[in-house]
Amino acid sequence: MQRLRAIWRNLFRKHIVDGTLDEEIRSYLQLLVDEKISAGADSETAQREAAMEVGAIEMIKEQVRDVRRGAFLESLWTEVRQSVRALRHNPGMAAMCALMLALGIGASITIFSVFEAALLRPLPFRDSNQLVELVETRLDRGMDRVAFAEADFWDLHDRTKSFEHVAAYHGNEANLTDDQPEKVSAPQVTVEFFRTLGVAPILGRDFSADEGSANVAVLGNKFWKAHYGGNANILGRVLRLSDKNYTVVGVLPAGEPWIDDQVYLPFPYHPNADRGSWEYSVVGRLAKGVKPEAAKTELQRLAGLLAAANPKEDKGIGFEVLPSRRWIAPDSTSAALRFLLLAVGLLALIACVNVANLLLARGLARQREIAVRIALGAARARLVRSVMLESLLLSTLGALLGLGLAAVGVRILRLVEIQGVPRLDEVSLNPWVLLFTVGVTLVTSVLCGLAPALQTPVQGIVSALRESDRQTGASRRQGRLRSMLVTAEVALAFLLLVSAGLVMRSFQTLLNENRGFATTHRLMFSVSYPESYGENGRGKQFIDSFLERLSTIPDIISSGAVGVRPVTGPNYGMGIEAAAHPLTAGSPPWAGWRIITPGYLRTVGLPVVRGRNFNETDKPVWTERGQPPPSHRTVMLSNALAKLLFPNEDPIGRHALLWKGQGGPEAEVVGVVGDSLERGLDQGPALTVYLPYGRVGLPSEFVLETRGNPLAVVPSVRAAIKRLDPNLPLADIRTFDDVVSRSVSSQRMNSVVLVTFSGFALLLASLGIYGVLSYSVSRRTSEIGLRMALGASESSILRITVGQGLLPAILGITIGGAIAALLSSYLKSLLFGIQPFDLSTYAAVSALLLVTAAIACFIPGRRAMKTDPAIALRLE
Amino acid sequence: MPPSANIALLQGTLDVLILKVLALEPMHGLGISRRIAQVTNETFQVKPGSLFPALHRMEEAGWLSADWGESENNRRAKFYRLTKRGQRQLKQETDNWSRISAAMAGALEIP
Repeated sequence: MQRLRAIWRNLFRKHIVDGTLDEEIRSYLQLLVDEKISAGADSETAQREAAMEVGAIEMIKEQVRDVRRGAFLESLWTEVRQSVRALRHNPGMAAMCALMLALGIGASITIFSVFEAALLRPLPFRDSNQLVELVETRLDRGMDRVAFAEADFWDLHDRTKSFEHVAAYHGNEANLTDDQPEKVSAPQVTVEFFRTLGVAPILGRDFSADEGSANVAVLGNKFWKAHYGGNANILGRVLRLSDKNYTVVGVLPAGEPWIDDQVYLPFPYHPNADRGSWEYSVVGRLAKGVKPEAAKTELQRLAGLLAAANPKEDKGIGFEVLPSRRWIAPDSTSAALRFLLLAVGLLALIACVNVANLLLARGLARQREIAVRIALGAARARLVRSVMLESLLLSTLGALLGLGLAAVGVRILRLVEIQGVPRLDEVSLNPWVLLFTVGVTLVTSVLCGLAPALQTPVQGIVSALRESDRQTGASRRQGRLRSMLVTAEVALAFLLLVSAGLVMRSFQTLLNENRGFATTHRLMFSVSYPESYGENGRGKQFIDSFLERLSTIPDIISSGAVGVRPVTGPNYGMGIEAAAHPLTAGSPPWAGWRIITPGYLRTVGLPVVRGRNFNETDKPVWTERGQPPPSHRTVMLSNALAKLLFPNEDPIGRHALLWKGQGGPEAEVVGVVGDSLERGLDQGPALTVYLPYGRVGLPSEFVLETRGNPLAVVPSVRAAIKRLDPNLPLADIRTFDDVVSRSVSSQRMNSVVLVTFSGFALLLASLGIYGVLSYSVSRRTSEIGLRMALGASESSILRITVGQGLLPAILGITIGGAIAALLSSYLKSLLFGIQPFDLSTYAAVSALLLVTAAIACFIPGRRAMKTDPAIALRLE
Repeated sequence: MPPSANIALLQGTLDVLILKVLALEPMHGLGISRRIAQVTNETFQVKPGSLFPALHRMEEAGWLSADWGESENNRRAKFYRLTKRGQRQLKQETDNWSRISAAMAGALEIP
């Protein structure tokens, strides 16, 4: 406290300090003069002599100022200088420590900064913790998260009291025809959508309450910048979207990617809205002081009312309130990131153990010096402080290097990871990351310094001084401590290696799954149709002539179209049942439905395993406006679905009830299609109903099988479509391989990161083992010499030393294995196709660690073996 | 001037001397200087150039505190006194010094 006051006074009230100092010196001078006068000198002589004796007043003042400024920093500064000198004394070791810490800290910063951006940074909305997502549930059918039916939303909207606002969002696409036709994301939202999110337009206005049916549009910020160059005069401009005109009334501020790059259109209240089709995302802003649980209770009560009022559609309905945080990162991503954070913690810990070990060894070598310093009166606290300071210096150095490594690390992650981790582009060195860095630095410096600091001799100074530095009881104790550190390090490395091995194997399993479809030499792109294509068969005409044109392009082997992009597209589903004999047990299966052209199955390599493929005679199952309902409906089923609906019988010719529970029609099964991983590689064979395309069923995702590079045909495809309709944009052009690869990018990132980390861990662990053993060999030189002089063979010396080094490693592997087995259930959610306790992975990791340890032991062991007994004994 | 006046003060010596003379009573700068000369039989002559930095350093370390007061012949002067911390420091330094001087005496074989 006093010190703080002094610093404050020196720094900020310098003139006052100088003033009193001046006065003090003058008073000293005056007293001196008085003294001389009273001793008999005359006034003038006294003055002169006194001035001479005091000397230059300014110089004294300067000296005092130096002292004052320095007093605070002085003691700390000497210690820092001492530590720096100690580190420079052994630059190799210092560099080694700093590098190891840089590795650990750098990796930690990398993962934390990704974690921070993805999971900690709040949504850019007002009071985002009051924002929730609402979903319907049909727990009786095993569905815990389904989208809202429109009518259910309006009922909830009118009756709920828990929310300030609720709003619905319906994803949609439209063709923007300005000069170049383009497919844009044009979601429809209820007019309260932006008020619910808490976003106010930066230009113009929000939708007004009565604008549900108006032809107005609000632009996302990125959309505005990309399409109109951020033109401030955009308000009032008319956009042509899928052949309709919309007037721009507002522009949103920059925000999350999913709210940024689109044009929003309002959608109106429908009094007789559909209750059977689950298509709407619903967001709600909780009223002030209402907890999510309370809102959920109210919604459950409403669900009961809905189920009673609409027994046909709303049987078993329920609602769930989900935190808005999920909008940024899906649960699987946040689980993966949490796990990586844990893994990187292990790596940093290993680095700390290694540095602690090195500092211990160094401390041992300096034992006599330390004993001398204690004997000369150095306070023990000061010695401990100096060790801690050294470790802090090393950690700081490591952290500075680590920040550099992290910058590289994030860049590498961006290359590896394509889609899975949100906001990866926004990862930055912000205050949170810096705070984390400081925290990690402090923790590592304590972890690294603790063991070496505590080993400063308590008693036994005399013996330490007297001892010949070899074979002391204390050093044996330290040898044990160092072996324990190696054991810990190997155990930690084991944990990391096992999780890396498991995740890597699971990723391999995932990639090697039998997908059903073929992905190489396949091109995918999507086309979106204007509303006019739904009338008079224009859409079907377009698809037919487009496919025909494509078939004339030489490099295209076959082509087809499907309603939803495989693997990554949304899932439109229906309840389905065999018409003749409904399943008695449980509820009807939920199957995805896909509209396909006859050529689609061949193009993606899916076989028709029974019955026949669709042909021109098969028409959509829906009724065209103004036409009678189709007299004969046909469908194909995926193999798994056919087996489920028609066990022990031939499904061909049987009838299935479509859209079960929603009053759907019956259709004849004409074919069975081979199973495929249509819902994602980790989802297993999908239950799929294939529906024929036609005038009222227009598939918009095209697939081509090509000779050679699929992307090479893109220009010809563009030309073909332009000849048919210059206003139709192509979008999302990718190879099928790319589509699949992106769908597993978070798994890929996990395995790449974990494998990198475990490589580092292995390196650090082997360095640790090597360090301990080579040190102990050098200390035992004379003992080894004696043994050899007494006739021990070289190989027995090698055996002894290697054995000594391997022992802690083997212990570490055992302990690591036990801990890994205990924690393995934690990994379960991240794994696919293999068990968390996978014996072969454990065995491989043990073997790898053992071999690495053996190599690390062998080098110092060989040195021991080559010991010349004569020289070794002379050292004593 | 006695020849011994040239003896360079060992590091830390001045501090302990100042602490020692202030242990008796508060004093101003010149007083401290004179008293040190007196108790060391004129071995140490403390010049203002070393005295003031030492005083200020020790004040900042919390060993001394200072107040303005009247000198014996009614001059304004800054008086230094020992704090609790200064007393502890004096005790510790005294112990150190007795150890060192015994060790040095033994080493140099001074009877």
